[in-house]
Amino acid sequence: MATATAPTPRAALPGVLRHPVARKLLLLAAAAAVLVPLADAHWSSGTWPKALTVDLTGPLTRTGDWIIDHRDSHPLFLHFLGHISNAVVFCVRAVYLLLLAAGWAGVTAAATALAWRAAGKRLALGTAAAFLACGALGMWVPTMQTLALMAVAVLASVAVGVVLGLAAGLSARLDRVLRPVLDTMQVLPAFAYLLPVVLVFGIGVPAAVLATVVYAAPPMARLTALGLRGADKEVLEAVDSLGATARQRLLTARIPLARRELLLGLNQTIMMALSMAVIASVIGAGGLGDRVYQALASVDVGAALAAGIPIVLLAVVLDRVTAAAGDTTGRTTGTGRGHRAYTAYAVGAAVAVAVAGRLAGRPDWPGSWTVAVAAPVNDAVGWMTGHLYSGVPVIGGTADWAGRFTTWVLDPLRDGLQGLPWWAVLLLVAAVAWPIGTWRTALTAVLALAATGVLGVWEPSLDTLSQVLAAVAVTLVLGFATGVAAARGDRFERLLRPVLDVFQTMPQFVYLIPVVALFGVGRAPAVAAAVVYALPAVVRITAQGLRQVDPAALESARSLGATPAQQLRQVQLPLARPALLLAVNQGVVLVLAVVVIGGLVGGGALGYDAVFGLAQGDLATGLVAGAAIVCLGLMLDRVTQPTERRTKKGA
Amino acid sequence: MRLRTTAVAGTLLLLTGCGAADMTRQASPFAHARGARTVTLSVQSWVGAQANVAVAQYLLEHELGYRVDTVQIDEVPAWDALSQGRVDAILEDWGHPDQEKRYVDDKKTIARGGALGVTGHIGWYVPTYLVKQHPDITDWKNLNAYASLFRTAESGGKGQLMDGSPSYVTNDKALVDNLKLDYQVVFAGSEAAQITQIRQFAKEKKPFLTYWYAPQWLFEKVPMTEVKLPAHKEGCDADPAKVACAYPRTPLQKYLNADFSKQGGEAAAFLKKFAWTTEDQNEVSLMIADQKLTPQEAAKKWADGHASTWKAWLP
Amino acid sequence: MSATTPVFSVQGLWKVFGPKAGRVPADPELSALPPADLRSRTGCTAAVRDVSFDVRRGEVFVVMGLSGSGKSTLVRCLTRLIEPTAGTIAVDGEDVRAMDRTRLRELRRHRAAMVFQHFGLLPHRTVLDNVAYGLEIQGVGRAERRARAAGVVAKVGLEGMEQRRPGQLSGGQRQRVGLARALAVDPEVLLFDEPFSALDPLIRRDMQEEVVRLHREEGRTMVFITHDLSEALKLGDRIALMRDGRVVQLGTPEEIVGSPADDYVREFVRDVPREQVLTVRTAMRPASGDEAGTGPALPPTATVSQAIVAVARAGAPARVVDRGRCLGVVDHERLLGVVAGTEPAENPGENPGEHPAGNLAENSAEEPAKEVV
Repeated sequence: MATATAPTPRAALPGVLRHPVARKLLLLAAAAAVLVPLADAHWSSGTWPKALTVDLTGPLTRTGDWIIDHRDSHPLFLHFLGHISNAVVFCVRAVYLLLLAAGWAGVTAAATALAWRAAGKRLALGTAAAFLACGALGMWVPTMQTLALMAVAVLASVAVGVVLGLAAGLSARLDRVLRPVLDTMQVLPAFAYLLPVVLVFGIGVPAAVLATVVYAAPPMARLTALGLRGADKEVLEAVDSLGATARQRLLTARIPLARRELLLGLNQTIMMALSMAVIASVIGAGGLGDRVYQALASVDVGAALAAGIPIVLLAVVLDRVTAAAGDTTGRTTGTGRGHRAYTAYAVGAAVAVAVAGRLAGRPDWPGSWTVAVAAPVNDAVGWMTGHLYSGVPVIGGTADWAGRFTTWVLDPLRDGLQGLPWWAVLLLVAAVAWPIGTWRTALTAVLALAATGVLGVWEPSLDTLSQVLAAVAVTLVLGFATGVAAARGDRFERLLRPVLDVFQTMPQFVYLIPVVALFGVGRAPAVAAAVVYALPAVVRITAQGLRQVDPAALESARSLGATPAQQLRQVQLPLARPALLLAVNQGVVLVLAVVVIGGLVGGGALGYDAVFGLAQGDLATGLVAGAAIVCLGLMLDRVTQPTERRTKKGA
Repeated sequence: MRLRTTAVAGTLLLLTGCGAADMTRQASPFAHARGARTVTLSVQSWVGAQANVAVAQYLLEHELGYRVDTVQIDEVPAWDALSQGRVDAILEDWGHPDQEKRYVDDKKTIARGGALGVTGHIGWYVPTYLVKQHPDITDWKNLNAYASLFRTAESGGKGQLMDGSPSYVTNDKALVDNLKLDYQVVFAGSEAAQITQIRQFAKEKKPFLTYWYAPQWLFEKVPMTEVKLPAHKEGCDADPAKVACAYPRTPLQKYLNADFSKQGGEAAAFLKKFAWTTEDQNEVSLMIADQKLTPQEAAKKWADGHASTWKAWLP
Repeated sequence: MSATTPVFSVQGLWKVFGPKAGRVPADPELSALPPADLRSRTGCTAAVRDVSFDVRRGEVFVVMGLSGSGKSTLVRCLTRLIEPTAGTIAVDGEDVRAMDRTRLRELRRHRAAMVFQHFGLLPHRTVLDNVAYGLEIQGVGRAERRARAAGVVAKVGLEGMEQRRPGQLSGGQRQRVGLARALAVDPEVLLFDEPFSALDPLIRRDMQEEVVRLHREEGRTMVFITHDLSEALKLGDRIALMRDGRVVQLGTPEEIVGSPADDYVREFVRDVPREQVLTVRTAMRPASGDEAGTGPALPPTATVSQAIVAVARAGAPARVVDRGRCLGVVDHERLLGVVAGTEPAENPGENPGEHPAGNLAENSAEEPAKEVV
């Protein structure tokens, strides 16, 4: 019933109208013909009519003031939120102290043992190298802070996610209720979660952890539910036929059968928690993200990179290890006794190393072992930006490109959108969304866009929308081209993979300065930052989609003598259509996720408002901008969402 | 509504069955890590503030034996964090009358910590190389004549006035409107972006007009001259929408968490006495921002050369 | 329960999928509709329509039909893995549909165990733990259930593979695990749902022989679902042939092959080598004159093909002898007639028509389990 389409009369229609798209558009046109004159007569204005806006400034400001004034006296804070906050601080502190007590040697040994156990020798070596690199970059303590925060946030996310996932996996009704909520939460930009949490918990670690939990729990919940629902029906039937009780069925069959999805959920939760833990540095999360953020103040790309590399390393290691753990389902893994003995050895070895480290008086990373990467990186970036910025013969410098892009693409797009009457914009969205999706998705998209008008941020929303559209277009062009190249050349893909990893996990703050140095301040660098962020996922999904095209179809095309270009155009691209559509959807969602980053480089509009709200503690501006970004996200997601939803976000 | 929240909270209290937990009296989980005496300082995003904190941190650690944690927070949220005790001190505040009234006068959770000794000033600046070509550009009345010079892709047909971080105090939009200037305010969105852009312009000797503030180390790298706006008079900026005068000169202030101020011992006493000159601050800032020393290296270098200055701060 | 109480007794069983399914069996007009009409009228699909049969103790009862004929639904209704819409099911005389949850679990745990087409094994458990799973569910202690499971694993010929996981086994081995899991709980009746249709032909034959062996050794009652006629003929003591949810004929393999109830069944069994299914009891004619005293003797259960061998060797008609009494003789004419399919059956079953359950039972009542050559 979720895919119900509009009731369509079976009466004899002219030929064109049998096509569903034409029929939908005709219906839409009919509806518009009635509604538009009405709307125009009532609220005739080019931009969103004043009469239809709700000014939230007053109530929001009062709410913010009330919370600040009552945070130390009201029972809601004293007896409920205060305990949560304290519990978070207590847990993070406990983990942090444990990590510090273990010392760098102990932590590295324990992490290596864990990786070995879960993912084998190669990844264990990688893990050890990554941790040592964190130390060598002089980032040991911030790394431990981030790890402590992550550990608590991931545990909480997993707990929340599994509970929600069990509920949705076992009850069809709850699934229907939860699924759209979880789906929507996954497309929301991370920044949207920060302000409400800060409002309640204030700047600091508790707010950061809770924002992270809210951000990272949905994939766990979705995949848990998916795993439970996707269990082999015959196995479950077999379990029933042996007379299992509901509890036995859940514990001995459904949960073990969902192991792969559960681990995939854990993997995604960890990755999202890491990215959020970095972003949350703007609300006082501390750790590596904070170092990156602080390096920005002195316009020090090298220092930012020194803190960014450990984040990338952590991300890659955590991703590979949890992914490998998920893939071992069904592999022989010795007997139970062997496991326990192995675990005992590993724990023993880690403890021994930690104790040895302490006895040697070296729990902190020795200062003399650090490598200063900041200076050479700064030189390199300086050289690059100096030479590319302007005056490059023939093609012009990056500054010229940025100027031209702004004048010829961004300006017309923005002015065009803002120049259209408001109802025309809504109509346009409906006309795009309905043929691609169902009337429900179209309605959601239209309502979401209308909500930005109601919130009173119609103009900046359209400004942001124009930047997003431009960025998506650039991302798709570059992404599809690179993706096709990667799908056709194994060596190219192998070279590309680490680059994609780095760009996907590198905190966006790091490339903020180079982007400004290359493209100046304004909307063009905002678009560039968005493209850099969204490109890896698009490339990856495209390449994967092309590679997964049925080999039989390709073989038959080859046997008919198709040239490589023909194969691509006539077989691979059409067959990879679902993957390409998914890439579009992901591109849109990811581009929107860094709108706030765009605000930091002069993108203005909603991104700037959100940053402004955070920086000034101005709830009215920040929350409204955040809500508008969310609405845009919903709208774009629905517009670009074909039939089936993805099960994975990003990589 | 009030009743209902109270009722809800009451139920939750019964459920949790434990006492009150005031999250506004809560330290960072990363503080006190080694059982040492610890101070948490708020660092704002500009380098001058980093210089203050770097020197304070260096002296607290090496002269008084404290462990210092720093947290980067924007200005207004920093007041809230200071009030909650999540940071112990802000060393450089550019004037937030609303926050001061709320936290210092009404709630009494924040105490004044005296002046930093540096006077801050916000204004509009053009690069000095531009002033050499157009000497009359430093009067706002002539700005309209030069608008075309400052045009960029981002500002469209108007001249570009570049503003910085959203956390800074700015009246520029109102100023442009009220002074009827043919300019477009473009927000760089962060100080990092703004500085990067200024340096790119300076490298090519391009004209630009920017919101900027002193003391700031960037003046040493890119000499800039202030554009004279209508003179500042007491109260002329009372209504943010009608401002048509220059920014004031602000003696920068220090603020301490009220409890820390009373019980902070040597650290609190030291931070109250901490005061230096604009030149001192700029020296450290430049080492951090331009020579890319770490804040701690810069602080050490400065401290080695200015022992007489900081000896007076020690309790 | 007496020895003659059927293990399963099914009367007027219906399973209808769709909205307000309950009205279909209750309404004589709806229940008479053909499937397509029923669907367009009500949106319902009747997977099982008014089916009745008894499964006798110790027999192998085969339900055969093409895919979509409702046979898999039928076997799941027996232990209410699928809830029937109407009709009665009794196991050892006890009403299954009236059972509460605990009682039903009891039935599934101890009295009826099922073997599935795609095995339904738990991929994260070893062979031994899969086999012991049913016992684990019953709450049997770890050591005991492992010991018992090890015995069953040996019985199905999987010694040495106890610690492997299902993913490391071949299809045939996996189904042996499935079989062992069902046997481990020592059920009164084994239910097989197309257990061998996912296997290669050679392995399938091995497994069929395994089932025959088990049945011979233990005499356990079995209900066997298959779409493979030769498998049905090979294993079944009696066969219920289903089409569109109904049983179109129920009888011994010999009856099905020898006297198809309608054209559908006739078409179905057309290619069956009749000489291997039909017995000399069907093919014989009364002895004339001295024939009763000479020629090789055959039991009435011998197949026609066995008789052909005997007649060819002796060069004379063979006698059909039961307990020393000569029932009749088969000569080469009669035998050739069977092979050619021209010989009309001497004692054809009445047309089973609408009620296939009750009528053919008598013919095969005393027929012992036949041997397959």
